[in-house]
Amino acid sequence: MITPWIRRHRKSSKSVSSQGLMLPGHRMPRIRRRRNPVSGLTNQGLISPSDWKRPSVRWGVGATHMLLLVALVVIGLGPLLWLAKAAITPTNDIFNHPLSLTFAHGAAWSNLRTAWSTVQVGHYLLNTIEICFGSWLVQLTVATTGGYVLSVLRPRYARVVTAMLLVTLFLPAIVLLVPLYLMIVNPPLIHHSFMNSYWAVWLPAGASSFNVIIMKRFFDNLPRELFEAARIDGAGPVRLFFSVVLPMSKPILGVVSVFAFIAEWKNFLWPFLVLQDPNKQPISVRLPAIAGQTQLGVFLAAMLIACIVPIVGFLIFQRSFLRGSGLGGAIKG
Amino acid sequence: MAAIEFQGVSKVFADGTRAVDSLDLMVNEAEFMVLVGPSGCGKTTALRMVAGLEEISEGTILIGGNVVNDVSPKERDIAMVFQNYALYPHMSVADNLGFGLKLRKVPRSERRRRIQQAAETLGLEPYLDRKPRALSGGQRQRVAMGRAIVREPRAFLMDEPLSNLDAKLRVQVRAEIHSLQRVSGVTTIYVTHDQTEAMTMGDRIAVLRDGTLQQVDTPERVYQRPANQFVAGFIGSPAMNLVDARLTRANGSLVAHFGDHSLEVDNELVAEHPELLAYEGKDVVLGIRPEDLEDAAFVGEVPPGRILEAVCNLREALGSEELLHFPVTAEANAGEPIGLLDRKNVMLLARVDPQSKMREGDRLRLVADTRRLYFFDPTTGRAIFADQKQVPGAKS
Ligand SMILES: Nc1ncnc2c1ncn2[C@@H]1O[C@H](COP(=O)(O)OP(=O)(O)O)[C@@H](O)[C@H]1O
Ligand SMILES: [Mg+2]
Repeated sequence: MITPWIRRHRKSSKSVSSQGLMLPGHRMPRIRRRRNPVSGLTNQGLISPSDWKRPSVRWGVGATHMLLLVALVVIGLGPLLWLAKAAITPTNDIFNHPLSLTFAHGAAWSNLRTAWSTVQVGHYLLNTIEICFGSWLVQLTVATTGGYVLSVLRPRYARVVTAMLLVTLFLPAIVLLVPLYLMIVNPPLIHHSFMNSYWAVWLPAGASSFNVIIMKRFFDNLPRELFEAARIDGAGPVRLFFSVVLPMSKPILGVVSVFAFIAEWKNFLWPFLVLQDPNKQPISVRLPAIAGQTQLGVFLAAMLIACIVPIVGFLIFQRSFLRGSGLGGAIKG
Repeated sequence: MAAIEFQGVSKVFADGTRAVDSLDLMVNEAEFMVLVGPSGCGKTTALRMVAGLEEISEGTILIGGNVVNDVSPKERDIAMVFQNYALYPHMSVADNLGFGLKLRKVPRSERRRRIQQAAETLGLEPYLDRKPRALSGGQRQRVAMGRAIVREPRAFLMDEPLSNLDAKLRVQVRAEIHSLQRVSGVTTIYVTHDQTEAMTMGDRIAVLRDGTLQQVDTPERVYQRPANQFVAGFIGSPAMNLVDARLTRANGSLVAHFGDHSLEVDNELVAEHPELLAYEGKDVVLGIRPEDLEDAAFVGEVPPGRILEAVCNLREALGSEELLHFPVTAEANAGEPIGLLDRKNVMLLARVDPQSKMREGDRLRLVADTRRLYFFDPTTGRAIFADQKQVPGAKS
């Protein structure tokens, strides 16, 4: 009875230990719950299938599971669901019965319409998307090329640069706010202010040592023989980067992309400082600015729209982001 | 196709490790040269210097008569097969094969023809669209070989290409690589730590130890005339028995004494190698190959000078042969001691007829082929038979 559990357990623990978090190319351990045909319950876990057969275990554990699940839903999804409900509730009802589960005076779908047309959520969302896309591109370019140089090409100074990058990880971002601001207002060499242009957001986003280090760590774990094989095959550094290193790095590119996108989506302080033209501001900056002059219902509707977009986007892209094609077969027999 | 020549090549790593030490080696055109030696002796390093993956610290390497010290791997026009294959995981088998051709701007139709041809040769046609991860170990190995073949390079470099295969597959692929090289006639340097691979595949084999070349010769010559004690012990399986012995003269013949045993050196052998006479009354290291010891029950009447008597300690029956281990007492620093502190006992090995009735604990009567004894100088470790051109500085 216990053997299948052990077998499966061994298998999964092996795949986890041989992969580690940063190891390249492996598929994320795909956890697929298989139902045990005998007990009808999952047989992956601390409680063995035979234990499951005892009613006390069954009921006790089952009830605990339910409780935990409900608690999790309330804590995790609660605010979001409240927002969704409030977004289509008349402002007065929100004030009078904030926690009511029903609509006392009917649903106010007009909130959404107003948010879209008068508050122009759509326009600011597009701004946000433009900003996110640009910073994502800059971040990815800097991270991949930087990591590539430090890990694969490894010039003599690479160790010094890596050490300096690590040091900057310990600097709180807030400390850099003023120098960065001054640099944007009067960039060295260029001497043309980036204020009120998206470059002011895009360029500093690239200066992320964290991304470079994550990339470098990933590249470090790619088998060097592959690079050597490519060099013998006749690949120069540029070709090696685009034809071998990048295609093998899909999983980490996905991770960095998600982080880059989410971070920029909720970024408030920096765009607030450098984008003073309201027309150019992203929604994260715009929403607080209009909070005072907008009806609460409409405001919450605008917030809901702003939240839904990244959630839907993530759901659409998560599979292709988080599942790399993997390194399988590159090495060993 | 091109000859490859090492001229006084050394490699010193940044940490001061001297992985290869003034290597002089000529690999002729179309030759299959095997670099063999124990792990860590510098084989891979030597190969990587030819490939251009490792800088050459001292000396020069020539490919096709041109010094390539400062030529990039790309321009050396060689192909390398890595120990772990190093296939591009994100490319199909066909793309793996064609990548090098594509980078060399070989036209598409020509590329397809060559890929097809290599796939046919290696039996990879059904897998051309697969990714490497969907292949078995043996198939991956073939793809790695194919990637080298399609390039039609001037030389193949192979670094232990069989070490990740199971024993049976290894024998099969070994034969395939061998015949492939014969057919294509491409100069090949093949690195292995496995003396069987070296013996079976090489036109010539070069034995390395601690970065220094010990001997270069045909497999037969290396086996029959090892230049020194190290080569003698390394080439041949099971390994040659080596014991400290003393040569004296009795009844007009040379006799080798070790422990309580003595073997009369065949007069023919002495006549062939008169330099042995100079060691009369001196210490030598005596070598006997296990296959030159036979159970007396399977040999006719022999003079007592050829008999070794000892107690069988362990018997290994392999079906086609039988290995008998037996200890002899000897002032040994040459052979393999029994236990860690015991330098007075060495374990010798006899490869006898599989029909032998000898068992553990039995008293063995073994007949030695005294025409095929080996003698080494105990101080230098060099073979005493001087007809072997010796590598200077090759110590045991
Ligand atoms: N990059 C390196 N830095 C320092 N020492 C090295 C390096 N590569 C190999 N060595 C050393 O050089 C010696 C020869 O290595 P190698 O050529 O890989 O041996 P082999 O392939 O014969 O097993 C070993 O002692 C090894 O530790
Ligand atoms: Mg090696």
